[in-house]
This record gives sequence, structure tokens and C-alpha cells, in this order.
Amino acid sequence: MKTRSQRMALSATGIFVALLFFFPTYWMLTTALKKPGDILSTEYDLIPFSATLDNFTTAITKPGFTTFLTNSLIVTLGAVACALVAGLLAAVPLARMRFSGRRGFVLLVLVAQLAPLEALFVPMYLIMRDANLLDTLPSLLLVYMAFTLPFTIWTLRGFVKGIPIELEEAAMVDGCGRWGVFRRVTLPLLGPGLVATSVFGFVTAWNEFLYALVFMRDQSKQTLPVWLSSFRTAFGTDWGGIMAASVIYALPALVFFMLVQRKLVAGTTAGAVKG
Amino acid sequence: MMLALSGCAGSGGTGQAAPPAGPRTLTVWLMNGSAPDKLTDQLHKEFQESHKDVTVKYEVQQWNGIQDKLTTALAGNDAPDIIEIGNTQAPKFAKAGALVDLTAEASDFNKDQWLTSLKDSGSWDGKQYAVPFYAANRLVLYRKDMFEQAGITAPPTSRQDWLDAITKLRAKFGSDPDFQALYLPGQNWYTLLSFIYDEGGDIAKRDGTKFTASLDTPQAKAGLEFYKQLQEASGTKAPKDTDEQTPEQAGIYGQGKVAMMIALPWELATAAKGNPDLTAKSSAFPIPSKKAGTTAPVFQGGSNLAIPAKSQDQDLAKEYLKLMTSAKYQSQFAGAGMIPGTSTDVAALEKDPVTAAMAKASSNGRAVPATPGWATIEAGQNPLKDMLTAYLTGAKSIDAATADANSALNKAFAG
Amino acid sequence: MSAPTVNPLLPAEAPPRAARPQRRFTAQRATPYLMLAPAVVILVALLGWPALQVLGISFRRLDLGELIRGEIVWVGFDNYREVLSDPEFWIIGLRTVLFTGACVVATIGLGLGIAVLMRHLDAPVRVALQIALVLAWATPIIATTTVFQWIFDQQYGILNKTLVALGFDGFAGYSWFTSGVSTLSVIGLLILWQAVPFIAFTLYAGLLGASKDLYEAASIDGATPLQAFRAVSWPALRPLLTMVTFLSVLWDFKVFTQIWALKQGGPDGESTTLPVLLYLKGISGSHFGVASAVAVLMLLILVGVTWRYMRLLVRSQETEL
Repeated sequence: MKTRSQRMALSATGIFVALLFFFPTYWMLTTALKKPGDILSTEYDLIPFSATLDNFTTAITKPGFTTFLTNSLIVTLGAVACALVAGLLAAVPLARMRFSGRRGFVLLVLVAQLAPLEALFVPMYLIMRDANLLDTLPSLLLVYMAFTLPFTIWTLRGFVKGIPIELEEAAMVDGCGRWGVFRRVTLPLLGPGLVATSVFGFVTAWNEFLYALVFMRDQSKQTLPVWLSSFRTAFGTDWGGIMAASVIYALPALVFFMLVQRKLVAGTTAGAVKG
Repeated sequence: MMLALSGCAGSGGTGQAAPPAGPRTLTVWLMNGSAPDKLTDQLHKEFQESHKDVTVKYEVQQWNGIQDKLTTALAGNDAPDIIEIGNTQAPKFAKAGALVDLTAEASDFNKDQWLTSLKDSGSWDGKQYAVPFYAANRLVLYRKDMFEQAGITAPPTSRQDWLDAITKLRAKFGSDPDFQALYLPGQNWYTLLSFIYDEGGDIAKRDGTKFTASLDTPQAKAGLEFYKQLQEASGTKAPKDTDEQTPEQAGIYGQGKVAMMIALPWELATAAKGNPDLTAKSSAFPIPSKKAGTTAPVFQGGSNLAIPAKSQDQDLAKEYLKLMTSAKYQSQFAGAGMIPGTSTDVAALEKDPVTAAMAKASSNGRAVPATPGWATIEAGQNPLKDMLTAYLTGAKSIDAATADANSALNKAFAG
Repeated sequence: MSAPTVNPLLPAEAPPRAARPQRRFTAQRATPYLMLAPAVVILVALLGWPALQVLGISFRRLDLGELIRGEIVWVGFDNYREVLSDPEFWIIGLRTVLFTGACVVATIGLGLGIAVLMRHLDAPVRVALQIALVLAWATPIIATTTVFQWIFDQQYGILNKTLVALGFDGFAGYSWFTSGVSTLSVIGLLILWQAVPFIAFTLYAGLLGASKDLYEAASIDGATPLQAFRAVSWPALRPLLTMVTFLSVLWDFKVFTQIWALKQGGPDGESTTLPVLLYLKGISGSHFGVASAVAVLMLLILVGVTWRYMRLLVRSQETEL
């Protein structure tokens, strides 16, 4: 058991690390709250003295914001969901079953992650064009799913392997079928793993710029990263606007994490009960 | 990148099939922040009224990543019909055969009144591939009130005047540690170009379609030396290793402690966002020349309009271009504070002292070398910026700095 | 130990009498393939096929002109010769490998530390830390890079201002970007800031997977925290750790946006890495053939760097069941 002072020291370290990681976000937030003239100030402005919500108003009222937000959500959530399903389907046999050809599959998954994605965008563009998918949200959904899939498979495979096989065998003995074992034992224990991978997929898809830019020519199909770049024009950059937009932009990822966070806890308790 | 395999060869020659009957769509790509919405709304309405079967599909593009987007769009068989391209990009796409040769129709687009710098940048190998759209050039924004207090009665009209004004300003306000007589970051290469042109030099010498870098000439070196002299005299605190956008110079001018900055006219509005008094307190003068009484030649940035070779309806696109380059719409650019590309009517610019200063220098506007290599430099690493930083910080001698930049440029020109 | 070989293409042609057990057997054998099918289709169609095309292009001259005219010009190994004969390539390659190495070591070290820390923190502090991490992770790259630029700005940056306020007057107007090394260090911090949250969360999830009861049992048995960690956490962490190391190598090697946004590979090309070179050759130079050659070489370097690990992985796949 930990002593009181150990606890204090741990908490202090935790708070310090949290502050370090929070600082750039904090800086983004305060910049978003600053008046245009205060962004480049020689004053020592660690804590902003006067704040305004103007930048947020500008950002939200910029034409198309809700459309872009919706597009981003559809593409991202769709890609995450599809990647999780396909990834989990592939991860279970990889971790638990014997079959020939797994060596080849493992190699495929590994090598798929090596390719520099920036180099693939022209062939990808052509595939989507030939499939008549340009200017449609599914084209991005597919691409983002493909980007996150190798990672998803790989991570989930690790998590499936991490589940003691005895638990599953015990459940099998208790009369659960394969599916029952999966649903009652494997899936709950996979909670944290599913959360980690889905947050990863979410952030990757949510931030992707190049493919969104090249695939989507119709403005009504654009996503938020492209919207964000519209704050930079030939006439200069609206930095306060960019920062406010970035805060808004980061919110869904945060909400998503908060939603899955409960799952993470649930997964833990399930693990503790069953363990 | 496997266009060839995907069978999109076929189209792309000059021989166009008859325009398809029935409703037609004209896809127009303009850049974010270029033509005012009022202008495009009116233009598209008028065009659609005179072409009842046509719908104009207007798509605004972002500068960020535009090269990727143009590359894929111009190579595919689904190209837009009209594109706006930065004035440094045209030769690259023209050389590759991505743009329609407009030499024969040039007079339809008000050829006689074209802005020289944009005309140059839209041509390749003696042919015209892009039509001027609009441009802007830099000027010196200054604080009238500070000039007055420092006893400067008239805006400088020669380099010497300029340096004298800086001396007076520093004498008057130098006690304030935050004061800067002129804000000049190390990598404002557009300004450097002005000084080099003023010395009679240029970035490169042209021979047909071949360009040879000429930064190692005495004229170019003299321009670089003046840049250093000016920077040292000004007492600027601007970093030597960034350009005017990082940090954004308008924001610094907006702090109210800077007496001058070399900027585009609309940067004043950006600066005044946080400090509304600045608009009334500021004015502008053209970048002074070595020779008293004249203005220095300036680099002119801007855009051209072009028709992609893979446009499905090039004749319609030409009609659109004709309307867009007509005096009626071009005058609106002047009204919006930009130099129109196909009209010499800049009366609207004369009303405001800041844009008037831009218009005054604009007749002496120049473009960067019209070579495909320049697009590579613009979208990649700019040797002029490295040259400036290396020389200003003393990392390299003037001979070494210019020689290195020269060979880097030649490498880019070679493709 | 070798798994029994199963041919997925073998049709279920069973003698009628043994129909039932046989069919069941085949269905079971087909299960793994059916489960893998969606993933395989996506990977092959959307990553494998484009990657093969890039390989093909690396043997062609494909500039903007060829691209638009739809010409196919095979040039053999010319692109590779061009890239490899440029001494710059070797400098950039070495720089990229070193940069990747430094980033990976720092990310994994910090990520592991934070994961273990989270395991031992009380709920409120842990949640605060998790929120800070998620925010760092979720912030769009364009905003993060801009914020870092501001923080490290020579005149107006809060870092220099803070250092001066703390009495280090030498940092007034100090430039953090004068050399490639210092520029890459700032970029490294930026990458660290964005990458650590993911690593920390993954490892933390792995730690949670290791049963808490076991952990407490170990500490009741009088094991020191370190012993408990080695006995209980380590076995759960090890596969995850090797995996995130592998992934970090891949990601950090391929970082482009942050490097480009901060200094475009400058000063004087000193922070140019292979992905930046790829961009310069491809997007800005429109030499797609050469760029594809760079991409293929990058892939080969990555394979070289991770070879041992990949072999281990593929092998362990056979045995570790």
C-alpha cells in the first residue's frame, strides 16, 4: 500500500505532466480569446487580461461550418466503425486460430504500414475517379479506413492476445459457444483496446487534409481540415480565427474520448470482476 | 500516377468535339480571397443570362495544397473549364501542355491593356497560355503622426531620404525599447527583388525558354548589400530567419510601435483590426529608388486565368473569359484595392493614399522568371530566403551566399 | 511448431456418407479466412494496389507533361541512379534515421512513464492528466504547429519571455531555429507532444489488462513495486511495447507536415528529411518518377531498420499461439 507522502508525490508529478501537456492547448485557447491586436504583444501575457469571443463567432458563422462539421463527422465515425469491425474480425483469427497463410497476412499488414501515404495520393485519386467516387464522402471514408486498418488489426491482435486464454477456455467449459465466449468474455475485456484504437482512428481521420483536399472538389463535400485552411488567404491569415476554429475542431475528438472513456472504465471493471 | 493506364489519353488535343447539346455546365475555379463575392455573383448571373443553357459551377479553392489539386485535376479528364493560377505557376503547366494556347484570342481579352508583369508570367515559349487577372505590389506603409513628430515633412523619394528618415525617427523615438523605425524581417525576398531590380539586376537572364540565374552579378550583390544596410540602419527587431508572415508583420505594426513596414495595401486593414486608429494615422509611399524622384521597380504578385487543355467546353470557357476580362468587371478589382490585370483604368485606386502608392509603382512592376522551375521554387525551398538569412546573420560572405543561391536556382531551372 | 496446413480453396467435396462431420470441419477451417476477408480486400485494393503503382512509376519518367499527355516512358533505374548519386540524399537519409531514433526513444520512454504513472494516480488527477493528453492529441496539426511557432518565436514567444522573466537575459531575442539540429529539436518536441498521448493510452490500456488482483496479490506477497511491475505488468506490456515501438518508428520516420510547416526543411535545408525530399521532388518539382523512387527507397530503409523485428513478429506468429 502506498503511503500518504508517496501519494502526494505521485499526484504532484501527475499534475506537473498534465500541465506540460496542457500548455500548448492552453496557449491555443488563450490566443483564440485574444483581440486581434493582442496576439503579437511584447507584454508578458501568460494570462490574458482581456478576452473576447469574437473569434469564435467569426469561426462558427463562417459559411459552411455546419456542413463541413457534418461531413467530417460522417467520414470519421464511419471510417472508425468500419475499421473496428474489419479489424476485430481479422484480429481474432490472428491471435487465436491456426491457419495457413497467416504468415502472408501478417506480412501484408506490416508492410501496409510502411508505405508513405503522401506518395500514394495520385494512384488513390485515380482509383476513386475510376470508381466514380470523387466528390463523395464514401471515397474519404474508404481511404481513412484503409489508413487506420493495419494499425487497428495490429493493435487489436495485441489486445486479444493479452487476454488470458484460460478465461476463454473456462467459459467454453461453462458451456458458452464460440460466439458466447467472444461476446461475454473477449469483447468486454477488449474494451480498453477498442477505445485506444478507435480514438487513434478518430484522430487520424479527423485531421487528414491532403486526400480530403484532392478528392473533394465540391465545397459542400469538404471536411473541417480544409475549412481550417480557408482562414489563410492571399490577404493574410486570421490567426485568432484559426485558433478559435481549432478549439471548436478539437472538441468533437474530446467528446468522442469522453464517450468512450466510460467504456474504458467499464472494460476495467469487467476485467477485475472476471479476473 | 497511372493516368496512362487508366485510359485518359484520348482527349486533350486542340481539336475539340462539338459542344454537347442540351444543358451545359461551366466549372470555374477561383482562389479563396481573390475575386470579391459581389463581383462573381454579378458575373455569373450575367453569363448565365446570355447563355441560357449554361450553369456556372463556381468552386472556390484554397491556396494551401493548390499545386496537388491542380496537378490531379488538370491531368484527369474531369478538369474544370476556367482556373485561376498564381502568376508563378503558369509556365509550369503551360510547358506540360496542361493549358490551352490563347495567343490567337488574346485581343478578345483586352490584350492592349494587359499588365506587363502578368502577361510575362502567363507566357511560355512565345505563346500566351494565361490571361492576366489581377495583381498587387508592395509599398512602404508609414505612420504619418510619427513622421510629423520626427520632423519629416514629406515621404522619402530616394534611398538616401529613406535612410535619413530612419535616422530622424530613431533619434526621436529611440528611447522606447519597443520602437522600430522599419520592420524588416530577414527573408522578405520580394523587397530584395525591388532593390536588385533598382540596381539594374535581376534574378535570372533569359534566353528563349532557358534561364540562367544572375544573383552573382554586381547588381544583385549591390541589392543584397542595400537590404543589409537598411536592416541594420532600421534597428528592426524582426528575426533574420523568417519572412514577413512569421510572425505576421501586420500584427506587429498593429502594436503601434513600428513607424514603417514594407507591405501590401490590405495589410493595413489587418493591422488596424486590433488598433482602429491606425487607418487614419497611416499612409504609404512607393519603395524609393536609388535615383531620387523615381520609384523602385517592384515585384508584382497576382493571378492569371487559364483554360485547362482538358476542359470539355473550351469555346464556352473563352466566352466566359471574355466577359471576365471586360472593363466592367476589371474595374471592380480596382475598387477592391487590387491592380486590374486587363485594364489600365486604376482611377479607383487613386482615391486612397495607400492604394495610390501601389498604383504609382505598378507601372514599374516585374515578374519572377517565367520558367517552370520557378513554380518548383515557390512550392519548395526558396534559395533567396536562405541567401538572405546566411548573409544577414554573417554565416556566409556575400560571394558565398550569392554563389550558393545561384547554383540552387540553376538546379531548379534545369528542372 | 507448425500449424496444420489448410487449403482455403479446397471445395467441400465430401463423400456423402461422411457429410455432416466433414462439412462442419470445412466450415471451421474456413472461419479464419472469412474473418480475414474484409480486411484483405481493403488492404489489397486501397493500399497494396496503389503501392504497386508507385513501384511501377519509380521506373518511369513521369513529369507533369507525361502525366497530362498520358505517356508511359520507361527509364529503367535512372530515377534511382539520380537519387542515389546525389550526396545530399545520403545526408538526408542519415539525418532522418537519427531523428527517427531520437524521437522514438523519447516518445516510448515518456509514454511508458506516463502510463505507469496513470496506473498509480488517484482518479481526479488521472482524469485531469488524461484530458490534457487527449487535448494534445486531438488538437489539429495546423494549430499545434502554429502554436509551437509562437511559443518559440524570437521576439514575441512566451518561452523567451518566460526565460527572461526568470532571469536568463540571454534569451531575449534568442532564435531557436538557427541550425538544423536546434530546429529538429523543436520539431521533435512538437512530435513528442502529439505522439506521447497515444503511446501512453495504449500502454495504460495494456496495464489495465493485467489484472489488478494479481498486482495486489504480488504486493501483499511483499514484492517491491519494481518486482511487481516485472512480474505482473511487464508480461502484459511487452507485446504492446514492441508494437508501439515499431509503430513509432514508422510514424516518426514518415513525419512531414510538422517539419514542413515549421521551417520548410530549413535553415538552408538542414532540417530536410526524406519525406520532405519526397515532397520536394514530387509535389513541388512534379518529378513523380523520381519521387516514387524516393518513396520506394524510404520503404526499403524502413524495412531495413525494422527487419529484425518484422522477422521476429512473423516467426512468433507461428509459435506464439
